[in-house]
Amino acid sequence: MNYEFDWSLLLQEPNWGWVIEGISNTVQLSLMAWGLALVIGIFIGTIRMAKSRVLRLVGTTYVEIFRNIPLLVQLFLWFFVFPLLLPDDFMRAWNRLDGVPFLTALIGLSLFTAARIAEQIRSGISSIPKGQFLAAYSTGLTEVQTFRHVIIPYAFRVMIPAIASEFLTIFKNSALTLTIGVAEITGAAKTIEAYTFRGIEAYSAASLTYMLTTASVVIFMGWLEHVLRIPGLIGKR
Amino acid sequence: MDFSVISDNIEFLMLGLMRSFQLAVFTIVFSLTIACFIAIGRVSSRRAIRYPSAIFVNLLRSNPLILIVFWFFFLVPLITGKTLPEFHTVLIAFVVFFAAYFAEIVRSGIQSVGASQVKAALSTGLTYSQSMRLIVLPQAFRNMLPALVTECVIVFQGTTIAYVIGMREFLHSTSLVAERTVRPVELYLFAALVYLVICFAGTRLALFLEKK
Amino acid sequence: MTLPLVQINNLSLRYGNFVALDDISIDFMPGTCVVICGPSGSGKSSLLRCVNRLEDFDTGDVIFDGQSLKAAQNVSKIRSNIGMVFQHFELYPHLSVMNNITLAPRYVNGVNRDEAEAKANKLLERVGILDQAHKYPDELSGGQQQRAAIARALALEPKLMLFDEPTSALDPEMISEVLQVMRDLARNGMTMLVVTHEMGFARDVADEVVFMDKGKVIERNESGSFFDNPQSDRAKEFIDRVLQKI
Repeated sequence: MNYEFDWSLLLQEPNWGWVIEGISNTVQLSLMAWGLALVIGIFIGTIRMAKSRVLRLVGTTYVEIFRNIPLLVQLFLWFFVFPLLLPDDFMRAWNRLDGVPFLTALIGLSLFTAARIAEQIRSGISSIPKGQFLAAYSTGLTEVQTFRHVIIPYAFRVMIPAIASEFLTIFKNSALTLTIGVAEITGAAKTIEAYTFRGIEAYSAASLTYMLTTASVVIFMGWLEHVLRIPGLIGKR
Repeated sequence: MDFSVISDNIEFLMLGLMRSFQLAVFTIVFSLTIACFIAIGRVSSRRAIRYPSAIFVNLLRSNPLILIVFWFFFLVPLITGKTLPEFHTVLIAFVVFFAAYFAEIVRSGIQSVGASQVKAALSTGLTYSQSMRLIVLPQAFRNMLPALVTECVIVFQGTTIAYVIGMREFLHSTSLVAERTVRPVELYLFAALVYLVICFAGTRLALFLEKK
Repeated sequence: MTLPLVQINNLSLRYGNFVALDDISIDFMPGTCVVICGPSGSGKSSLLRCVNRLEDFDTGDVIFDGQSLKAAQNVSKIRSNIGMVFQHFELYPHLSVMNNITLAPRYVNGVNRDEAEAKANKLLERVGILDQAHKYPDELSGGQQQRAAIARALALEPKLMLFDEPTSALDPEMISEVLQVMRDLARNGMTMLVVTHEMGFARDVADEVVFMDKGKVIERNESGSFFDNPQSDRAKEFIDRVLQKI
């Protein structure tokens, strides 16, 4: 194998600039998409457990659609198809926006991940013993009150590991957005490789970003679970 | 909207879909095989085997598939000195990547069969490998079937990533037709529908297996 | 003549093909403590859960304090007048004992926090676990948890208390502390419907015993008479089997 290593080129411009921009975009996109996905996902997950059949159907439909279409296809739909389906004025306004790729990526990633989170919420809530519902209802709490004060807080604590791992999933999935023009870290690495032919250095920068983030989240999760082990919270039953 | 573009180009599109399936099936077969060995390595009592297996799995699971594909596209010609056809290179990347995920499923399948089962088997005079083969693995396999099916669906969804390196799988074929006929709406919606139907069937199968 | 607090009219409940309750009609007077017993599958727990409509019955009606449960628009309001205690305690694990008790008064009856906590403290004292107020359920023993659950049910000052096998999940040493609390409640005039296997409690504390089998009420009698002189063969069989174990 004939390869000349040159790690210093990563620190040179324009490579370094690309790396920084890539990491920054990846982190921003991931955090924002995760936040949105949590809000939407918790909502969808909860209505899937509602007494109303209509609400349950809406939730299930959402989950099945956004879970079964590959993320890349969803990104393409939002990027290529969605603007064309808008009424003319909206389409023009959309195309004039700053950072359309980032915005599209944000929408695509959030809605996709929301479906996954909704699934985890549903299975989290299903794992709650039925007696908790009965006890709450028996004291006169309504369905909404029961979910708000008893079920969701309980389920949430049980689901924290899953929710944190969803962040890591979004973080890795953000790499796909390079196809619609988002300047995230994997795309930056590919660009550097194209310019310098030093693929190992370039891709290492990207890999390092993902691996360090993964390791950090895993460690944080361990600490969180330890802290939240305030009596009776996480799966002691 | 004019959906005739789809019927006009249906052969080309279906060819792409076939390639997606090919990639998925080959990936599943090879990576599942490798995964079994890695899984056994993960639970081995020898540190020299356990640590590398763990490192392999964690390394691969920390990186996005698309980056692994880029890695292999760069490294394979470098190491082998020649350029393989893109299908082969992509396949290698996919196999390595998904081996890590399948390995975790197989591992938890093995561990889901209680240690007491092994003890019970050993107490009747079976050797360790017989216990593994006759008692543990059959049960493990049944336990992990739903998770395996789900992962296979993920593999199939993952084939879309081959688009990025120019392989003519279904998504790429769709985008080519979309560009050529300037009808992205119909074509991408069609692609989405096809994936939806196939993956939905897959997840339903997994659910069905879980209930059994 | 006082009206019954609970009137059950032609109540039926099925789960698919299984008949849990078979056309039951029975009344319960205020201030009485009634033990409901019978073999498993006889419908005792189902009956209890119908009284506060935690189970939706198929036919018939339950009239609580003059209000029909079937016709009721706001079941939650009615439920706040009925307290229920469960076999597995069902305290909310993520809330302290204090918060477990004050949750319903604050959100169902709009009581403010300080008032709710003051009342809760009184209840905790009454059931004997005032010092556990700020602990979490997992830190308490089974007996303490069940007493906390009783306090939680009492927090809304209910007119009726339902007990669904309250001591079945407890270790033997802790059964008596819970029965003691229930005894005090009965003595203070609380209307109680108790599903239990504790025949000692039935004999000493309950005013009446109702014996159920296969979804029907087989026998109903004052507790003394029931044990000394069971009328039906099924009841005789049941008493013999249960007393054998003691």
